[in-house]
Amino acid sequence: MSAVTGAPSAAPSITPVVVRLKLSLLRNGLRQSGGRRAAFIASAVVALLFAALQLLGLIMLRGHAHIASVAVIGVAVLALGWAVMPLFFPGGDETLDPTRLVMLPLRPRPLVNALLAASLVGIGPLFTVLLLVGCVISVAHGAAAFAVAVLALVLTLLVCVALARAVAAANIRLLTSRKGRDLAVLSGLVIAIGAQVVNFGMQQLGSMGLGRLDPVADVLRWVPPASAVGAVDSASRGSYGVAVAQLALTAAALAALLAVWGRSLNRLMTSPDSSTLQAVDAPARKRTREGGGGLARLLPSGRTGTVMERSLRYIWRDPKTKAAWATSLAIGLIVPVFNALQGTGSPYFACFAAGMLGIQMYNQFGQDTSAFWMVALTISSPRDAYVELRGRALALLAITLPYATLVTVLTAGLLGEWSELPKVLGLSFALLGAMLATGAWTSARFPYSIPQEGYKNVAPGQVGLAWISIFGGMVAAALLCSPFIVLVIWSSLSAGGADWSRLLLPVGAAYGAGLTLLGLRLAAPRTAARLPEILTAVSKG
Amino acid sequence: MEGAVVVGTSAVRVQGLWKRFGQQVAVAGIDLELPAGNFIGLVGPNGAGKTTTLSMVTGLLRPDQGSVEVVGHDVWRDPVAVKARIGVLPEGLRLFERLSGRELLSYSGRLRGLPGNEVDRRATQLLDVLDLAGAQHKLVVDYSTGMRKKIGLASALLHNPEVLFLDEPFEGVDPVSAQTIRGVLERYTASGATVVFSSHVMELVESLCDWVAVMAAGRIRAQGTLAEVRGEAPTLQQAFLELVGAQGRDAGSHLDWLGGGSR
Repeated sequence: MSAVTGAPSAAPSITPVVVRLKLSLLRNGLRQSGGRRAAFIASAVVALLFAALQLLGLIMLRGHAHIASVAVIGVAVLALGWAVMPLFFPGGDETLDPTRLVMLPLRPRPLVNALLAASLVGIGPLFTVLLLVGCVISVAHGAAAFAVAVLALVLTLLVCVALARAVAAANIRLLTSRKGRDLAVLSGLVIAIGAQVVNFGMQQLGSMGLGRLDPVADVLRWVPPASAVGAVDSASRGSYGVAVAQLALTAAALAALLAVWGRSLNRLMTSPDSSTLQAVDAPARKRTREGGGGLARLLPSGRTGTVMERSLRYIWRDPKTKAAWATSLAIGLIVPVFNALQGTGSPYFACFAAGMLGIQMYNQFGQDTSAFWMVALTISSPRDAYVELRGRALALLAITLPYATLVTVLTAGLLGEWSELPKVLGLSFALLGAMLATGAWTSARFPYSIPQEGYKNVAPGQVGLAWISIFGGMVAAALLCSPFIVLVIWSSLSAGGADWSRLLLPVGAAYGAGLTLLGLRLAAPRTAARLPEILTAVSKG
Repeated sequence: MEGAVVVGTSAVRVQGLWKRFGQQVAVAGIDLELPAGNFIGLVGPNGAGKTTTLSMVTGLLRPDQGSVEVVGHDVWRDPVAVKARIGVLPEGLRLFERLSGRELLSYSGRLRGLPGNEVDRRATQLLDVLDLAGAQHKLVVDYSTGMRKKIGLASALLHNPEVLFLDEPFEGVDPVSAQTIRGVLERYTASGATVVFSSHVMELVESLCDWVAVMAAGRIRAQGTLAEVRGEAPTLQQAFLELVGAQGRDAGSHLDWLGGGSR
C-alpha cells in the first residue's frame, strides 16, 4: 500500500472509500431479499464451520510426519480455487468489475491497492485466513518459524486474492460476454465432478497413507503461494536460507500478479468497450464447407441426418444441453468405475451409464426452447413427427451406445468379471431402449420449458409437469424393462442359466430396440396432434 | 401503389376466429379475407391481438373457435398443404441460436425436405442479398436484432412460399437493414406472392402496403385497400387513430407546467 503514500499530489487515499463501498454492496445485497440473506448466512456458517474444523484438524495433526506435505498441497489447492473462482462466479462481486469505475478519475496504482483491500472483505478471505492459520501452525516449530509464519500467512492471503483479481481482470471481456455466461452454467458441473474426484482421492489416501503426497509436495513447496508454507517448514527445520528464498519467491509472485493486474486494469479503463462493435467486420473464418460439413457426410440424408446433426451440435454448443450431457457422461462413468476401482462395485453398476444418458431423451422439445416453432412448422403428419423423434433418438444413440459399451467393458474388466459382460450389456441396452421409448412419449405428452438463463432447469409453475415427465417416465422405463430383468435374475440363479447368459446380449439389444421403435410409434401421432400445445408449453422460459 | 391491388383468389380467409387466455379475450371473433398477390399490413396498437392472430393463422396456436384457410386449404385439417406453402417469421420466439446463420438456413431448408445442394445455393444467395455473408459463420446468438430478423426472413423465404407471414419484421431494426428487408419483400411480392405483416408504424405500412387490416382490442376495425381504409383522412395515421378511438386524447391541457416559463 506504499503507492498511496508515495503519491506526490497527496490526494486522499481511496482505499477506505472502496472498502466502504464493498461493505455497502454486501449489506444492500442482503437487504434485498430474505432468501438471499438466509443463503448468505447459511453459506457463511457452513464455510466457517468447515474452516474451523479444518483448523482444529490441522492443529491436532501438528507433529505428524507428513503434515508439511498436507499443508503445502492444501495451500496450493486453495490458490487454485481462488484462480478459477472468478471464471465460474463472475457476478459475485460488483467491485470486481473495474469497468464500473471507469468514469472516475482514478490512477491504476491506488486503484489496485484499494481494490486489493476491498477484496479482503468477505467470507472467502475469512475462510482462507482460518485455513492458512491452521496450515502454518501445523508446520511451525520454534520462534523463528512462527515469525516466518506470520509473514507467510499475509503473503499467501494477498497472493490468493490478487490471483483471483488478476484472472478476473484479464478475462473481464470474456466474463461479461455471452461465452462467459455460457461458462458459468458449467460451474455446478465442475463442482460436482471435482467433489467426486476429491472424494475418491481422499479414500485413496485413507487406504494408502499420507506418504503418497510427499513427491507432489516437494515440487509444490517451490511454487507460490504454497512456497510460503514451505518457508515456514524450512524455518522449522533450521534451513533459514531456504526459508528466505521461498518467502522471496512468494513475494515476487505477489509483485508480478499485482503488476499484471494493474496492467490489465489500465488497459480496461482506457480502451473503449468494443463488445458491440465487432459485429459485421469480424473477418469470416475461412471454412472449406458450404452447408453441412464433415459431420453431415457421416450422417444419413434427409430429415433424419438434418435432425441428428442439429442435435449433436447442440450437445456441444448449447450450455444447458452441454452441462446436462457432461453430467450424465461423468456420473455414468464415475459411479461404476470408481466403485470398481475400490473393489466394492458390481458390473451391474455399469447400467448407470445407459440410464444417465437415457435421461437426455426426456423433454426433447423443451430442450429446443421456443425455437421449437421451426420444427413445428415442418411437421405436418405423424410420419414427419416419427422421423423427427427417430433422428433425435439416433443422435443420442450415436454417443450413448459406444459410451455405455465402453463403460460396461471397463467395469467388467476392472472387476475381472468377464462372464457377466453379456448379461450387463444386454441389460444396459434394454434399459436404454426403455428410456428412449418413455422419453419420446413423455416429450410429446408432458413437455416443459427449460429457462435459458440461470441455474434452473424448469420454468416456474411447471415443476409438477417436469416431475411427471422425468420420474413417471423413469418408473415406466423400469417397468418396461422388468421382463428382461427377471430373465437376467433367472439366468443368474437357475442351474442351467449360465449356458443362456451369452444369449442375453442379443436378446437385450433386440428388446431395447423393440421398445424404442414402439415408443417412437406411439409418440409420433401425439406429437403431430399436439404441436401448438407443445410450443406453448416449451415457450415459458 | 393502391392501383396495383390484385383482387382475385384470397390468400388467407379467416372466419369467426376466437382466442381467450383465461379471462382475457385476445381475439374476439374476427373475419378476414386477404387477397393474394398483395403486400398486406395488419396494423394495431400493442396488445390488439396481432401476434395471436398471426400465430393462429400459421398453425402455431390453436384457436378456441373459427376456421382459417390459407390458399384454399384449412390450416388445421390439411397441414401438409398449408405448411409447405407458408413462410413464417414470428415475434418473441427464439431461433435455433446455437447454429451459425448458414447452419440455420441449411437446417431449416433440409428440414423442409429441399435437396441439400439447392438449399446451399439458395442460402448463399439469401445471405448475400441480406448482407449477412460476412456473419454467416457466427452463431445466431451473437447476432444483433436486425441480423436476427434478416436471418429469420431468409429462413422463411428459403422454400419459396406462396404466402409469407411476418410479425413485426421491422421492430428494432436499423434503417439500413430495414431497407434491405424492404427491397427483398418488394421483389418477392412483385412475382405474385403474398406478404402479410404486422406493424404499428403507420408510415411504414402506408408506404409499403396495398391492403390494410386494422385491429384493436381483438377485433378487426377496418379492412380493404389502403385508399378505402384511409378514407377522408389525410394520412393512414389519422385514419388509424380515429378507427381505434384514440382521437382527441390531447395532452395539451394537462402538463401545462412542462417546458419554458417559470420552473
